Amino acid sequence: MPAILEAREVEKTYRMGKVLVSALRGATLKVEQGEFVAIFGSSGSGKSTLLHVLGGLDRPDKGSVYIDRIDLSTLNDAKLAEVRLHKIGFVFQFFNLLPRLTALRNVELPLTLADVSEKESIQKATDMLELVGLKERIKHRPTELSGGEQQRVAIARALINDPKIVLADEPTGNLDTTTGWEIVRLLKRLNEEKRQTFVIVTHDQSVAETANRMLHLKDGVIQGVKRR
Amino acid sequence: MRRKQILTMAWANMKQRRLRTSLTTLGVIIGITAVIGLASLGEGFRVTVTQRMEQGFELNVLTVIPGSLFAGLSRERFTDENVYNILQINGVEMAAQVMQIGNVTLHNEEGNEVRAFVATAVNFTEFVRVFPDRFEFETINGSPEQWKNDTMVIGYKVNHPNETEAPFARAGDNVNMTFLLKMKQISTPPYSVPVFETRNFTVDGTLSKKGTSGLTNFDYWIFIPLDTAREIYAIPDKPPESDLIFVKVKDPDQSERIADDIEALFPPYRISILAPMTFIRQVDYILSLIQLFLTSIASISLLVAGIGIMNITTVSVMERTREIGIMKAIGAKNTTILTMFLAETALIGLLGGLIGVPTGYGLSYLLSYMVSRFTMGQQQDTVFHTPETQRAVVTPIFSPAWAVGAILFGIIICILFGLYPARKAAKLNPVEALRYE
Repeated sequence: MPAILEAREVEKTYRMGKVLVSALRGATLKVEQGEFVAIFGSSGSGKSTLLHVLGGLDRPDKGSVYIDRIDLSTLNDAKLAEVRLHKIGFVFQFFNLLPRLTALRNVELPLTLADVSEKESIQKATDMLELVGLKERIKHRPTELSGGEQQRVAIARALINDPKIVLADEPTGNLDTTTGWEIVRLLKRLNEEKRQTFVIVTHDQSVAETANRMLHLKDGVIQGVKRR
Repeated sequence: MRRKQILTMAWANMKQRRLRTSLTTLGVIIGITAVIGLASLGEGFRVTVTQRMEQGFELNVLTVIPGSLFAGLSRERFTDENVYNILQINGVEMAAQVMQIGNVTLHNEEGNEVRAFVATAVNFTEFVRVFPDRFEFETINGSPEQWKNDTMVIGYKVNHPNETEAPFARAGDNVNMTFLLKMKQISTPPYSVPVFETRNFTVDGTLSKKGTSGLTNFDYWIFIPLDTAREIYAIPDKPPESDLIFVKVKDPDQSERIADDIEALFPPYRISILAPMTFIRQVDYILSLIQLFLTSIASISLLVAGIGIMNITTVSVMERTREIGIMKAIGAKNTTILTMFLAETALIGLLGGLIGVPTGYGLSYLLSYMVSRFTMGQQQDTVFHTPETQRAVVTPIFSPAWAVGAILFGIIICILFGLYPARKAAKLNPVEALRYE
């Protein structure tokens, strides 16, 4: 199976105030089509930075990232944005929905960016919200939704452009345990039904253990791989 | 991104911050109001003044006089041949020469005396055709073709030195004119003495009161036939001469070209041509400059509004940093972010223009009303004695082109000033933007 997502010797240092933080120090990984991979690590291990670099949201200082065999370092900002739009779906810990838009409009946004017609995109967004179990709440704004519901909207938004890879950064981190497991089950179900590749970052070992493969990130390097 | 969606989102954002949007838009409204108000009032002023001047002047009459202001006064004299050549120029309808006799004294049958300072000799049939409106007289003796060579036409003010009393002469009366015939040389100081002559004329026409045309005022003139004057002043060796020529043109807009053609008939700097149209064009040009100047000053308020927009967009970009990060994470390009912010500033410009244009015209009408109220009843004793000039009424001029222009200008200003903060938003690093609290 060819790797849908690959990182080779990725290094990334960022500045936090006056301190330089060396978040990634040569992380290497390969993810195959349809896998459900967890990147597990403690707080400050560079998990989020790795996910941002994998998703083309940030550029590595050294090393390279390939999505669908495209070297992201060869792309300009606009091309990178297109990769994010069509090949990647992001799910965040804090949901990151636009507060002024309804659930439907939030889910529809990537289709809007992709110039899909309004009629078609509303239909697709409605179907997607139904898929994540929010058919009744499409007209609600984020503030009128519970945390779990907001995360479902965010997942629907991540999936709407039918991306090859879904990257989730602590998707359960801001939810109570029960709701968190519901989200994990939803992600697993979508992975099985749609055969999309999922990479989730978590510090919660029990969540990480639901994955096909668990990559242990420590001090900016992948230290170990655990298969189920 | 779908254009409609960008506008919908921009509009939603503006509605969200209603007070802020209103205040920013108010700045644009004031700017557009000032620009449109002053521009339309200025245009109205320009058109009113130009029209007044066109009424005051005879636009279709050029005056050819000897001499040139900067080359010194030549004593160029005009001949029948000059008049003939001028009549050949394309666009010339008629030409009439005038010989100046100068300052004369008239006595009527009762022995009353009046002085006329502008005694002239003209060919009446030509003269009537050049000035059909102003050379309007009362007569008992048919048309000028039937008049004899001892005929005279008297201007209104000469004939009515005192408005309340009876006129000096009526049509058909006889008057004696005493005038300077020549200077006689003598051997003792002052070496030359004037020789006067008196001749008898029949008043065949008394002119009605006409006032000035800006250049000449026939009320103060008297006229005798050109042939008679030539006979009086006859110098055997020289062809008969005159002092100026009035040229009537068919189309006033051609007067500059015709003036050039007339000038070309004479040696350089020997004559000057007074063309009212040229003068009016100059005044019109100056007024256009003043109007442009006023409008430019008004535009400053639009610049101030632009700075307000820049300010508010900068704040808005900061507030929405996280939103920008989200948009970028889900695949928005830098240009999309740029367009989103510029759509908002452009909408503010459009809104400001749509409200500012009508209020601007409102302002100009208010100002013009106030000016007309202020000047009402003030008798203006100017050289233009036409009744319309007694009240200053300036009607602002509405121009759809300006309305569209002002709205576009407002939008462009808003976009230009929004550009800097919008570019800042577009260039935000998505990861940092997402982390922004």
